[in-house]
This record gives sequence, C-alpha cells and structure tokens, in this order.
Amino acid sequence: MGDLKFCFESFGVSVAIESDSAEILARAVATARSALLENVRVLECDRAEQRFQLRDDGAGLFSIIQNGEALASNDPPDFRFWKYFDSLVRILVAEHAKSVVFVHAGVVGWRGGAIVLPGSSFAGKTTLVAELIRAGAEYFSDEYAVFDNTGLVHSFPRKLSMRTSEPLFDEQPVTVESIGGRAASEPAAVKCVLFAKFEADSAWNPEVLTLGQGMMEILPQTIAIRQNTEFAINILKKAIGSAIIVKSPRPDAVDFARVFLEFVDNKAF
Amino acid sequence: MNNSQFPAARKSGLVIQEMPDEVLVYDLNTNKAHCLNQTAAKVWMSCDGKTSIAEIADSFGRGANEDLVWLAIDQLSESDLLENEVASKFKGQSRREVIKKIGLASIIAIPVIASLVAPQNALAATSCHCSNDNQCQNPPNVGNCPTHCCSGVGTCNSPETAPGSGICPP
Repeated sequence: MGDLKFCFESFGVSVAIESDSAEILARAVATARSALLENVRVLECDRAEQRFQLRDDGAGLFSIIQNGEALASNDPPDFRFWKYFDSLVRILVAEHAKSVVFVHAGVVGWRGGAIVLPGSSFAGKTTLVAELIRAGAEYFSDEYAVFDNTGLVHSFPRKLSMRTSEPLFDEQPVTVESIGGRAASEPAAVKCVLFAKFEADSAWNPEVLTLGQGMMEILPQTIAIRQNTEFAINILKKAIGSAIIVKSPRPDAVDFARVFLEFVDNKAF
Repeated sequence: MNNSQFPAARKSGLVIQEMPDEVLVYDLNTNKAHCLNQTAAKVWMSCDGKTSIAEIADSFGRGANEDLVWLAIDQLSESDLLENEVASKFKGQSRREVIKKIGLASIIAIPVIASLVAPQNALAATSCHCSNDNQCQNPPNVGNCPTHCCSGVGTCNSPETAPGSGICPP
C-alpha cells in the first residue's frame, strides 16, 4: 500500500499523502489544495514529516490514517469523508506550522487595520464576519487568523461557511464577492479583538480586557498552543499587544455589525 | 532555612511572558496557563529563596502586610509556581474570608491568579466536522457541536431521533 504519493509543504509543514488508488489520491490532493487555499509547494517525499494514508481494504472500505492512526472510514468515500479529510489537513498544518500561528477566529479588515473575532465553531463567527463585510469591511477569514512572526494578520480567504437554520445548520459555502465584499490582499496590524458569542436578546455591553486577560481568552483558540508554546505566545503578544481587546455577548449580527464598527472607530483608531 | 518563609519561584518548564501590569506563565508540564496580576507577579518575582515573606511585604511599602503576601504565596503554591509546596497559612478559612480581611486593611490590589488548561489542539480546532456519528459523540465535538449525529454534509448537526438522546437516524 502507499505506492502512489503526493508530498507538499505548506506554512512550513511537510506532508505526504499516500494511496494505492490513483483516483483517490487525485481527489485527496485536490482536497488538500483546496483546504489550504493553494498554499502548497510540491516537495520531495523523503522530506515529509507528516503522513496521511488513504487505504482501501479491498472491499471498498476506505480509511484515513494520519501518522499511523486510523481516524475515519467510509464505504464508499462520500462527501462527509472528503470534508473530514479537508478538515484534518487544515488542522494538521495549523497545528505544526513553523512560521505562523493559526488562531480559530474570524477576521476582517477595517480602515487599514484588522478586527479579530476569536471563537470556536458555532459561535457565530461567519455570520458576524458576513455582516461586517456587508457594512464595508474587507474579508480576511471566517475560520483562521494567521499571524506572522511580526504579529501581522494574513488573510485566509476561503469561501464563507454560511449556516442555514433549516435543515439544521447546513453549510452553504459562498464567495465573499457574492455578499458584496472583497478579500484583503495585504496583511494588517490588529486594531481590535472581540470575544463575543451570539446570545439572543442580549445587549452589547463591552468589557475592555487587559492584555493578560485577552491572552487568556485567545490561548484556547490557538491551534498550536501545546506544540509550539513559546513561539505562539510571543506572536500573540505582538499581534494583540497594541489592540483594544473587548468581550461582550452580542445580539443578532445584522443589528450588531454597525454598532460594533462605530465602537471600533471610536476606540481603536 | 524554612522554605515556607523563604519561598523560591519555579523557573523550569515554564514559558514566561511579561506584559504591562501582568505576567503570563505557561506551564509546559501541565499545559496550564496562569495570568498573574501585578501584585501576584511582584510577589512571585521576589521569591528568590533568600528573601523572607516579611521582606517581600516590606518591599510593597506602606499599605501591604504579610497576609497579602501569604495570599499570593498560597495561590502561587496551588498553581505549582513555587519550587516547594508551601503549607497554607489560612487553613480552615475560605479565600473569600481572607480576601475580605486583607482587602479592608490593604491599599494594594489583592493578588489574583487566573488559570486555565490549554485545550488539546483538536479542541481548539473544533470544527464539528465528522465522517460518522461516533465522532460527534466523543471529544472534541461532543458538547461543542449542535447534535450527536453526523449529517450528510459532514458536520455534527443531524437531528437526533429525540433531541439530546444521541440516537441517530439510520
């Protein structure tokens, strides 16, 4: 098994994908490229440190094996299988990235700076990012803030994963252009960090956090915090050290976006 | 020399990041992060194994007393940020009682250490993505995603047979 290989480097992480099926390998490579927004450089396979194997048991059951650990299987590989693989590739690279720090966050650009919205899935990041874009902000990401070693945040502009309420939270990827926005092309300094979770009937009531409190809030969203602790903490301090850091519940994104941008205009610029 | 009276700050296995008025300490052994406010940080940095608690209290000037330093020491010890465990001076008293007592007598901010355990990488990256129902019923997705069932589009959001039951449609 594993005669067919594709090896690449992304954000300093070298990865091998192996399969004994040319068709599966081709789909895996396309999925990895898409997951990493084409931030992929082909590499000699003897340099790969991380390894995915997509194994066929001969009876049509396909498994994803990451560094020797079986993580999932499907018969036959369906949409869920590939979406899961897409997620695994992104997490693997985010976890082992050497030159940048990935934080689970939505990010938009505003008046030449960046607003970072850390939060886990289903916290409403994409919804808020979309409304901020409709209010004139530039799109950086609805999933990751990517900080370089100077603390600037870079865009990771995948399609926005808009969720519907019916059927329950189905995802509908949309381009930023389709909601009237555009993706940022340059990295930016962080001007504001907002820790907010949607709560129906809540009111915007910003509590300004100290840098230490902000660091404690952002650490759990930092993918490589356990793997590359010192680097991550140094970069995070640089990244958010000059920003205003606030925490609040937030009401519906449609009403909230303009109120929040007014707050940013008054406090962060 | 009595360790309790001459506490020493632990330095190994820690990532220390100083910030204005606070210090962030990450314990690489336990993956716990601690944020020390100014008072707790000053006490911790004074713990060199040679300076007594009374001397540390003196270094704050008027307005601080030994109990304030002991309160910081107590929390530093609990957070495993001292070389040796120090027996609490306030045994039998709740921290609230101690803070109330010290707070009234002190013009220095009460020492505070906020702590959290850094999540497993996958938890930080919880995406609710799945390829089968089991992945929705185990960490990191369980409790973080809308339901315990993997939908046809690969996220843990498929309706359960009865909400919260974890029983998924075939």
